[in-house]
Amino acid sequence: MEKRAAFSDLRLAGALIAPQLLLVFVFFYWPAAQAVYWAFTTQPPFGGSNEWVGFQNFEQIFTDRVYWNSVGVSFLFAGLSTALSVGMALLFALFVDRRLTGYRVHRFIYFWPYAVAAPAVGLAFRFIFAPEAGFVSAVNQWVPGLWNPALDGKDALALIVLANSWKMVAYNFIFFLAALQSIPRPLIEAAAMDGAGVLRRARDIQFPLLAPTFFFLLVINVTESFVDSFGIVDITTGGGPARATDLMVYKIYSDGFKGLDYSMAAAQSIVLMGVVIVLTFIQFRYVERRVHYS
Amino acid sequence: MKNAIIAAVAAAALLGSSGAEAQQRIKFEYWYGLTGQLGEILEQHCKRFNDAQQKFEAVCVGQGGYDKAEQNTIAAYRSKQHPTVVQIYDAGTVNFMLSGAIYPANQFAKDFSIDIDWSNYFPGIANYYATSKGEMWSFPYNSSTALLYWNKDAWAKIGKTKAPETIEEWFDDLRKMKAAGVECGFGFDYDTWMPLEQFSAIHNLPIATKANGYGGLDAELVFNKTKFADYMKDWKKLLDEGVARIQTAQVGKTIVQSFTDGTCASVLSSVANHGVVGSTAKPGLNWGVAMLPVYKDFKRHNSLVGGASLWVMQGKSRQEYEGAAALMKFLSTPEEALWYSTANAYIPVTKTGFDFMNKNGFYQDPKHAGRELAITSLTFTPPTENSRGIRLGNFTQIRAEIRSELEAAFTGKKDMQVALDEAAARSNQILRRFEQTFKGKTLP
Amino acid sequence: MIERTPILDAVTHALMLLGLVLAALPIVVVFVASTHDLATVNRVPMPLWPGDHMAENYARVWDKSRFGEKMLNSLIVATGVTVGKITIAALSAFSIVYFRYRLRMVFFWLIFITLMLPLEVRIVPTYAVAADALQPFRVIAGGFGLELGIPQINLLNSYAGLILPLVATATGTFLYRQFFLTVPDELAEAAKMDGAGPMRFFIDVLIPLSRANMAALATIMFVYAWNQYLWPLLITTDQKMATATMQLQKLVPGPLFGQPPLWNEAMAATLMVMAPPLLVVVFMQGWFVKGLVASDK
Repeated sequence: MEKRAAFSDLRLAGALIAPQLLLVFVFFYWPAAQAVYWAFTTQPPFGGSNEWVGFQNFEQIFTDRVYWNSVGVSFLFAGLSTALSVGMALLFALFVDRRLTGYRVHRFIYFWPYAVAAPAVGLAFRFIFAPEAGFVSAVNQWVPGLWNPALDGKDALALIVLANSWKMVAYNFIFFLAALQSIPRPLIEAAAMDGAGVLRRARDIQFPLLAPTFFFLLVINVTESFVDSFGIVDITTGGGPARATDLMVYKIYSDGFKGLDYSMAAAQSIVLMGVVIVLTFIQFRYVERRVHYS
Repeated sequence: MKNAIIAAVAAAALLGSSGAEAQQRIKFEYWYGLTGQLGEILEQHCKRFNDAQQKFEAVCVGQGGYDKAEQNTIAAYRSKQHPTVVQIYDAGTVNFMLSGAIYPANQFAKDFSIDIDWSNYFPGIANYYATSKGEMWSFPYNSSTALLYWNKDAWAKIGKTKAPETIEEWFDDLRKMKAAGVECGFGFDYDTWMPLEQFSAIHNLPIATKANGYGGLDAELVFNKTKFADYMKDWKKLLDEGVARIQTAQVGKTIVQSFTDGTCASVLSSVANHGVVGSTAKPGLNWGVAMLPVYKDFKRHNSLVGGASLWVMQGKSRQEYEGAAALMKFLSTPEEALWYSTANAYIPVTKTGFDFMNKNGFYQDPKHAGRELAITSLTFTPPTENSRGIRLGNFTQIRAEIRSELEAAFTGKKDMQVALDEAAARSNQILRRFEQTFKGKTLP
Repeated sequence: MIERTPILDAVTHALMLLGLVLAALPIVVVFVASTHDLATVNRVPMPLWPGDHMAENYARVWDKSRFGEKMLNSLIVATGVTVGKITIAALSAFSIVYFRYRLRMVFFWLIFITLMLPLEVRIVPTYAVAADALQPFRVIAGGFGLELGIPQINLLNSYAGLILPLVATATGTFLYRQFFLTVPDELAEAAKMDGAGPMRFFIDVLIPLSRANMAALATIMFVYAWNQYLWPLLITTDQKMATATMQLQKLVPGPLFGQPPLWNEAMAATLMVMAPPLLVVVFMQGWFVKGLVASDK
């Protein structure tokens, strides 16, 4: 991933990156540093005297069964929604890229979900998947009790995975399609003329060229599933039933801002950040290596 | 370089905040948590105040929920950008009492000569917002209590025309109704306000030691050892028998919806929903309200107030406080009590407000039939240590813990007693944590 | 395409149709719900066909929520974030990928890590910075014993406060980095041989090449900024600065109030709030198509 050709005007390089660094410093690192400080203290909500407690906050979360449950749920959620949304998006993008009649309509509609705000997605899904009111309630008329996210934790998890994936499929689809469409048409046509079938072409031409996009999406999807799924959980399940959908980020928010225990929330944020950094690092190290940048 | 950036940021900030034109009126901010229709009514109330006088203007800002109103006020206070008046729900009372950020209502009334007869407030309401010494630190505003909503037609099927008074009778009715073909006798919601808090108050049972926390931050939860545990086990049995049903927003219908569309024959809900039930009930639904049933071996006590109160905050100018004082005076008139209780179904908070409404025929209006029961229930006995309120640190989280454990028990994942014990243990951890965070502070 | 693959075509059509239903159904439900009166919406099951209360629902919500000025605010904020983000992300990614200096990977990670701690979990300290934007510098200068007289800049209730913290994220930088890495080295080498400076190369070669990327990023950022609600809710107390998405929250009562929401009005508002980002998506599609046609030649 090194560029052979590079410029050497370091003052310019610094000036180019300075605005971003400045913003990141003021609006991210400075507040985040305060959160780190809180993690080692007890911070009263209204401010004022906080007391240094060392690693007590961390000990407390690591000995808490409920916290580990939330870690488990988060990994499950991230794994399922990334697999589902990246997989589906790739499939749809490949099909739409075949440009059969009507593909424009599909391409157009597939984009839609991305434009919908998380609270609206949550509301719509809550309504559609409600066991007694929505469309899915029909399944309960055939097999009573089959689907009930309000009572069954597995159903609830499925519900948030579906809602999250619905939104992310659209996002991933945009990228896959853009990448597929940037593959020169003549290249594929030439391969087709040489007798390479659809699958063959996908394997030999499209997949390798999609690799950087795939990597980008993998990182973004895993990260977003961990850190950006607050809105959907908040509106659909509220972390329930019996903590079956209590994602780490939701727990941080509810402990910190509903419960006003800023210190405990801060300690949890640091753990969450650690987890995501490690995951990202692994992806960079082992996945990006296999990615070919032309 | 840096100067240029500072200048740019400053320019951007100026560009942004140039909206407000100079005006004669003295403005002060008033943040509230109510949303939806109730939020709109509060907004109208605010406008009534602004129209009623020329000197002040209350700038009313909805924060998108009770919890958000509290969170946002705290964030703002930390940066000295907080409002003069804020609406805080019952569960936030302890935080605000300990914050050092508020101007106690009784002191405020004295300093700004608001002529308030504190004994005029219904004691059930006043005690919830008063210190352990009985001094009121906030102004009660939207207040409610819980009632039993019952479907008269469903009860007619078992030949009864009266709502059950004891829990035994109620359970009996529910089983008979099930036999008579009623699909859902009772809609159950995990929200602890009804099953735990109101139940414990009317049965005069403690939720926590130290007089439900009024006596100090070192209180411990005991609800898992009271009759409440039996009550929950009874409900679990009824749920398993198919007599009652879980109705939450996640199921697709809240308890109120399940009642108004005629599915569930009874629910426990706030009197604040009286108007909503009236306006959304399916045509022909023959319904009424009653006081919460009590186990027959227990003597009924007063129920708890729910809702929110208005807090005045520290660090504002004298002029802003004068505005806030004018607002409090305005809101406490009987005329405004009538207006507010007519616009929604909250109850009047003072005796004079109640008398005024009574005199104006409010309770004779069939639309409001039964709402006076809220007052009866709230004032049934003088408040005891167990029925005056709940003063526990971080009560929002305690509610959430109990809810989670109840979910586990009602969905059959755990034995009820195990779940309740666990809820109490976890809630005690929250209390200890709260005590540590507020080390050195004592409840007023 | 030059070959004939009837079975695959059939499968493709079937799958695309399925995708169509999956993608559109929730939005259709929202639309249908917004056209009925309250009683009909609450009926089980809800009708699948639009009712005849559409106009009145929309008009009522529009007036009640004063969407006119709120939409304008949202537009300013979303545009500000989009433009700011694209500019800053392109510049910083250019610096990281095309210049060789020791700190570049450090800088990259410094920017990248911001993806990993969302605003929700650090919202209180971020609010404190927004109330006093230069506070970090004052504190640091104070740490060195300097009294620079740095002024207090309050970004609450301002467009800057709504925009800047949203610009300070890493998605765009990461996206540009990924894209720049795929640009053939020969282009930069050729530019250097022609004696073009880095900025010349950036403007004449990289920017035109990254048009599709820019369109994608613009779409993403516009949608992202438009759909923010927690942050605007916290920092705007002046109704003149309120954004449209904030209003959605107010239309649906929280669980504490027990009462059923006015679903028809809430859904009408949802659709209205959804419309501008949707239009952007539609408009940006055109760009993708153009890019496509160009590469076909």
